[in-house]
Amino acid sequence: MPILVNLDVMLARRKMKSNELAEIVGITTANLSILKTGKAKAIRFSTLEAICEALDCQPADILEYVKD
Amino acid sequence: MKDNTTILIIITWVVLLSAVSILLNDIREFDFNQFKAFQNWAKSADSNESWLTSKNAIQWSYYIISAALFFWRAYLIYGFSYFLSILKEIDSGNYFSDTNIKYFKKIGDIFIQYTVSVLILRFLLALIGESTFNFFNELKAEFTFLIPAGLAFYILAEIFKRGKQAEEDNELTI
Repeated sequence: MPILVNLDVMLARRKMKSNELAEIVGITTANLSILKTGKAKAIRFSTLEAICEALDCQPADILEYVKD
Repeated sequence: MKDNTTILIIITWVVLLSAVSILLNDIREFDFNQFKAFQNWAKSADSNESWLTSKNAIQWSYYIISAALFFWRAYLIYGFSYFLSILKEIDSGNYFSDTNIKYFKKIGDIFIQYTVSVLILRFLLALIGESTFNFFNELKAEFTFLIPAGLAFYILAEIFKRGKQAEEDNELTI
């Protein structure tokens, strides 16, 4: 998919662990790993909002469009 | 939902068991009468007559077709037993699973196969028995309602296919 999820980069910058983020955002670690591996088909605005709030960043910091 | 499934499972079992017992009873009665008649044919059969046109052969084919009707009834009951498999899947929480789609298609197949074969067999019976066979009268019989029922199951299978897709999409939406 041409949409990349750069959650790993942002997590490293904020020095946060995956399970910590999952807990703050309120999703399971399994779902978070689906998101990180790019298997997810869609992301809810509410989830995006929660992630942005937890990582104190913009959606553009997490999502990236790369032409195939 | 769970309670409803349990009730449905119980109802399905009751219907299945009663259908099986009725079928077994019919087979028992049928066999008994036919056997008596066969003994009489053996006594009265004309050995000079050619085998194919003999009354005996005609009666035999009549007997075989009647037995085939029993087979198809058993097949219909077998098809009905798929309801239990579907209910079991639903009970375990897999509503839109591949197996359910497969079972719905199978039930549709069996219902339509049953109706078509029974129609053909009834036609053959009428042919042998030299009674009148009116196709439209036969179509009015209750069992032909299984054709729309079979089609309904095909439609259900299609709907479930779409449901499965939607469920997958939903699961991969974070």
